[in-house]
Amino acid sequence: MKATFPHMGNVYLAVKALLDGLGIDYVIPPKNNKTALDIGSLHSPEEICLPYKIMIGNYVQAVEQGADTIIFVGSCGPCRLGEYCELQINLMKKLGYNLNFIVIDYPKDIGIKELFKRINEISGVSNKKAHEKLNALLNAIQVINLIDKIEEMAHMYAGYERNKGECKSLLNKCKNEAMQSKTPIEMIKILKNYQQKLKYISIDINKNPITIAIIGEIYTVIEPYSNFYIEEKLMDYGISSRRGLSPSWWVRNAALSPLKINSYKIRKNAKKYLSIPIGGHAVECIGEAVTASNEGFDGAIQIFPMGCMPEIVSKSILPTISKDLDFPVMSLVVDDMTGEAGYITRIEAFIDLLERRREDVLSRC
Amino acid sequence: MIVGIPKGLLYYKYHPFLITFFKELGAEVITSEDTNKDILDLGVKYCVDEACLPIKIFHGHVVSIKDKCDLMVIPRIMQLNKNEFICPKFCGLPEMVLNSIDNMPPTITDPIYAISKNTLYRWAKTTGTRVTHDTFKIKHAYKKAYESLINHQTGINDKLNNMKIALVGHPYNIYDNYINMNLVSKLNKLGVAVETMEFTQDFLINLEINNLYKKPFWTFARENYGFAVNAATEKRVDGIIYISSFNCGIDSVIIELIKDRIGSFPFLTLKVDEHTGEAGIETRVEAFTDMLERRIQNESNIPTHG
Ligand code: SF4
Ligand code: SF4
Repeated sequence: MKATFPHMGNVYLAVKALLDGLGIDYVIPPKNNKTALDIGSLHSPEEICLPYKIMIGNYVQAVEQGADTIIFVGSCGPCRLGEYCELQINLMKKLGYNLNFIVIDYPKDIGIKELFKRINEISGVSNKKAHEKLNALLNAIQVINLIDKIEEMAHMYAGYERNKGECKSLLNKCKNEAMQSKTPIEMIKILKNYQQKLKYISIDINKNPITIAIIGEIYTVIEPYSNFYIEEKLMDYGISSRRGLSPSWWVRNAALSPLKINSYKIRKNAKKYLSIPIGGHAVECIGEAVTASNEGFDGAIQIFPMGCMPEIVSKSILPTISKDLDFPVMSLVVDDMTGEAGYITRIEAFIDLLERRREDVLSRC
Repeated sequence: MIVGIPKGLLYYKYHPFLITFFKELGAEVITSEDTNKDILDLGVKYCVDEACLPIKIFHGHVVSIKDKCDLMVIPRIMQLNKNEFICPKFCGLPEMVLNSIDNMPPTITDPIYAISKNTLYRWAKTTGTRVTHDTFKIKHAYKKAYESLINHQTGINDKLNNMKIALVGHPYNIYDNYINMNLVSKLNKLGVAVETMEFTQDFLINLEINNLYKKPFWTFARENYGFAVNAATEKRVDGIIYISSFNCGIDSVIIELIKDRIGSFPFLTLKVDEHTGEAGIETRVEAFTDMLERRIQNESNIPTHG
């Protein structure tokens, strides 16, 4: 078996750690790129959301490198992602690939027995002992927590750094080195090392950078290729940004949601505007906008793929929040036709607006 | 008190229930007009751009009656069946409307779980108090309303003995003749009979569903897929027309699922939005039915024995 999986932000590092730990052969699809998207758009139903298309591109490119098994995480709440697997299995068959799909779903949908059976399909291939397998899993979770933490720090410190570009280059170096690691333990060491480095970069506390919250649909905010590397761009502009949704958040959420203790603050803040979950991550989107405003952020950028149902609901709510709290929010819709140039112009215009607002406040006093 | 009910989205399915319920409670009930150009224009003006046509039209209906009623029902339908969901835009419909339209009258937005008689009654109990505090009256009104819902038959099943097509899609696309530009009567005029999903029994639909790797969790997806595939494989119809709105996330999945399953069976997708022209739809429907006719003739020309 040679496993592969779709990309989503830094998830590949965690899966690499997991499969290295299990001793399973795998292919990491080439980083998301234009060719992947083109392949995806060519074969996918026209109106399906962007994440689907990029994933198809990932599969095809990975299969070209010898992958024969695709691991896919299903249902993320009542939205299209849950229906992806069926269509993707059919599509890959139609394209003439003979692949094995392993779909990991919530036990409440497929039953705990089936879940174990499917997990066994993966871990059964590994000849490691049970405790080693468990270790591999724990390491992978540690990796995703670390890399998310590192990213969060880099995005936040970028506004305060004294040496321009330091955060960005540290972050990129960190990912590259982690990717080269041979064992999970080595990877964790590398990550911890960079976490320390980031902690001690030279920072100017007196700087008062523009701060922006990134909110919206989970795939498009996490996967930099789909949002034209917006977070890197903000780092270049010397802007601090924060994003609530991350793979590690998702893991926590999946584990804790039955207890309803996850993201309590977010849900509480969303309540006034959207009191019940409607699918996707609309509640998080709304809650984070309110939270960011309460915490003194300058503005928020909402990103979602064309036709994304839950985020269209969020988009109709955001103007009210913006008005109530005097908090600028911009919505960016991405799909395979989005031109980068127009997109950048809009981001720059938004930043200008935030800067001007600050000047206005200053000149008023 | 005047209760306003917008004639959009699932109105075609539930209107006897709502109308009876509020009338029995002693309120006066008004509905918006059938969808028309003005309503569409209002919807386009107020609703977020990215939304699909049916949602925009619903906004139009709301605007058209908001100043004429004291209380408006914006049904927040969460579930129609256990363990199944419907479109996120239904669950967030009140939010969409209330944040896009100013000066709204008081509204009823309590979530509706139309899973069973009991869950529906829970909705009626809380909602009823907005009109009267007489619990007996509410209970009575609910009973009447439920009866009228049960007796309300929708569905089209023409008994013409020539060509027949299965008309598939969301109820509002099938029953709102402004959205679908009188598709059914157009087809009838061409001598084509129409069948909709209401006449396919649940167990047949579920039989088809069992062939899927995973059971769809959308009610719409299960029903439409099951009906279309069943009608095609049992050759009850000569072709399938799927009427869908641009930017409908659910349709994009269902259409693909159906096509994957039925192979070369004749299938036409009609997509509508506010820019769709009637002429274009007409030509495509005519071309499709011509094609079906040729197929039928060809088949009858082939001798049955060698
Ligand atoms: S949340 Fe949006 S992008 Fe994600 S599956 Fe649903 S419609 Fe697609
Ligand atoms: S199911 Fe489709 S057409 Fe209906 S409201 Fe949702 S997105 Fe719009």
